[in-house]
Amino acid sequence: MTTEHATSAASQTDHKGISAKGLKAGTVGLIGAVVIGVSCIAPAYTLTAALGPTVSEVGVHLPAIFLVGFIPMLLVAFGYRELNNAMPDAGTSFTWASRAFGPWIGWMGGWGLIAATIIVLSNLAAVAVDFFYLMLAQLFSNPELGELSKNLPLNIATTLVFIALACWISYRGMETTKGVQYVLVAFQLLVLGWFAVAAFSHVANGSAFDATAISPDWFNPFAVDSFSSFAAGVSLSIFIYWGWDVTLTMNEETRNPEKTPGRAATVTVLVIVIIYMTVALSTLAFAGTGDTGLGAGNPDNQGSIFAVLAGPVMGPFAILMSLAILSSSAASLQSTFVSPARTLLSMGHYKALPAKFGRISPTYKSPSYATIAAAIAAAAFYVITRTTSENALWDTITALGMMICFYYGITALACVWFFRAQAFSGAHAFFFKFLAPLLGGVILLVMFFKTAYDSMDPAYGSGSSVAGVGLVFILGMGVILLGVVLMLVMAKLRPEFFKGQVLARGI
Amino acid sequence: MRYVVGYSANARGHDAVNLAVSLARGRGAALDLMVAIPEVSPFSAAHAPKAGFETLLHEQARAWLDEALALVPADVPAEGHVRRGGSDAQTLMDACAEFQADMLIIGATSNGLFKRFTIGSVAGALLHAATVPVALAPHGYHRREALTRISCGLGTRPGADELLDYAVSMASNRDVPLRVVSLLTLDDGGSPDVAEAARSHAGNRVSAALPGGDAGVHVAAKADVVVAQGRSIEEAVDRLDWEDGEVLVIGSSRLARSRAIFLGSTANRILRALPVPMIVVPSDYELKHQTHSMSNETSGEAPS
Repeated sequence: MTTEHATSAASQTDHKGISAKGLKAGTVGLIGAVVIGVSCIAPAYTLTAALGPTVSEVGVHLPAIFLVGFIPMLLVAFGYRELNNAMPDAGTSFTWASRAFGPWIGWMGGWGLIAATIIVLSNLAAVAVDFFYLMLAQLFSNPELGELSKNLPLNIATTLVFIALACWISYRGMETTKGVQYVLVAFQLLVLGWFAVAAFSHVANGSAFDATAISPDWFNPFAVDSFSSFAAGVSLSIFIYWGWDVTLTMNEETRNPEKTPGRAATVTVLVIVIIYMTVALSTLAFAGTGDTGLGAGNPDNQGSIFAVLAGPVMGPFAILMSLAILSSSAASLQSTFVSPARTLLSMGHYKALPAKFGRISPTYKSPSYATIAAAIAAAAFYVITRTTSENALWDTITALGMMICFYYGITALACVWFFRAQAFSGAHAFFFKFLAPLLGGVILLVMFFKTAYDSMDPAYGSGSSVAGVGLVFILGMGVILLGVVLMLVMAKLRPEFFKGQVLARGI
Repeated sequence: MRYVVGYSANARGHDAVNLAVSLARGRGAALDLMVAIPEVSPFSAAHAPKAGFETLLHEQARAWLDEALALVPADVPAEGHVRRGGSDAQTLMDACAEFQADMLIIGATSNGLFKRFTIGSVAGALLHAATVPVALAPHGYHRREALTRISCGLGTRPGADELLDYAVSMASNRDVPLRVVSLLTLDDGGSPDVAEAARSHAGNRVSAALPGGDAGVHVAAKADVVVAQGRSIEEAVDRLDWEDGEVLVIGSSRLARSRAIFLGSTANRILRALPVPMIVVPSDYELKHQTHSMSNETSGEAPS
């Protein structure tokens, strides 16, 4: 080309300005940041999915485990923030672990992140489908409609439609707007509050299913009967805080980058802990942990606790709960798609996956191949779990907790190793770059190995098993092994990345 | 003169670049190729990292622009720009304001099954809000030589005179013949009288619109008035002969805000049948341009 086609000086300068950070500076205030944090956690969806499985592990010590579960999340989030500040990158765990530990562990870190988000996508879609049919039943006062979600072919078909829709919306680059996000968050909190108040008033009026008096012992994590239960409970409660770290990593987009992210993270976690505690306490007080009827220990209730409890607790207003969970899981479904898609895109870009994963749609400017790949994987995961498990929701959540521990653990240790030269350069660096992520990473990896070991027991989780081995183990380890196999195939196909020629180690 | 080109790395973007080259060559205009990328809202994606994705997206956009610039022949000056905005249409309109562009050139979508033009959402938005003339390349447009004829779709409504002024100046600046087209359907009455009335009306308008002096005489010698009749607008368009190097200039609907485009229903139907590019001119556009051209003789399509 001739010199006439030089890109202008002006466009060179704006190139720098944009690539530094793509967000409009200073548009998010404290409340906005809290809304983003709460919406990432999606408390209505999280509680209905995780409350049952956690009760089945730790019984009445649910509040204690919910509180304790926050500690490793907090410690890891500090490390996450340090890495994000030093190397902002779409690959997050993948890129950071590659820079710290080299390509092999980096690849597995990325795989863990992708697997976790894919698993949560299939669970989100399934929960949305359950509450979709439940809402139809409540709307038309016809319980038979609610039973439709138990019809296996129909359930699978509807779930696949939900996944396809969310994938399409994400592919088209449509985003949830600020206004919608505010309404969704406010509505979720309101309905959860309503549920708690209604449950407590049933207890006070003596109309509760199994009124149980709240005791201080519920808050004592050391009263949990075994370390196995404790580990399983903690890995589940990692899931309930998953997404909270987003508030810490917000910087340029906040009005006051010095103070807003820290305050937002604190306020978000206060809001979340208060709502989790009230709902957990009210559920236990109303339903007890018995394994019959409405009891929170009844295996039939544990896949999605509010689907069972909202009716008896809230009466005719239970439809609000269905609406809250349906809207929050549908919104999360669509926005969560962005995460594996961007990580896959980043891995394609760094030659750790076939180049087509790095494709960006010329029309919609979104990851094209990666988004569709994520949707197919989520759909396949759901079909496999649904057809092999007696309680697919329960088992996917347990496997998910394990997967989050795996990749958060790797990420936290990547922080420790990456910043090892600075670890003792001052009190701040020592705590945030070394001690906190080290503790958090070790705790999570211990939880991961303990849960993985325990889940080999065929009675683990919902009690589904394949060839005498627990289904949760098969799912969790199967996904990790699949990652190892794919990694070896990729190392044959595109060796540059695995020779460390693309992403160099070290600072 | 500067033309802003809305580029996307697909057939549609290529159509737009080809048309832009063709338009620029007759006028010595410079092109600003734009890739619009979406602004990432912090309220959108849950666990997704944002900053790094922006970098990748930006790199990709620069790579696309390099491909696009390679499509532009050496005799047409061109620059590439990446701009970020809430919507692609808004980003392109902002770019037009930033570069004081004289025209915005985009491609129609490629997935219309039977129609030559299908308007995508971006083009749809621009055709209902842009404040500069918008040129739409039909699907598969690959001509890159200068234009050979300007057609102007003339109605009897207010604003037609400004539109005709624009078309006349466009033809005289490019030194190509002008053809004034009146499209009649059966609803207008099918008799030869109606056609004759339309023809003389258009002829009068053309005489009135032609500037005095040499340039006016020059264009007048080459100006042609045709009336096309059909059962529908589409059929009337089909019955006309179209040169490969021709464009059709039409005006905005009466619904348009002053100095903005609003594609009317007739224009929409013309678009569906049209085999050549179409340029939609905002209402009152010429007024603004005449004042503009007094201070700067060489700028714009205004009469010189």
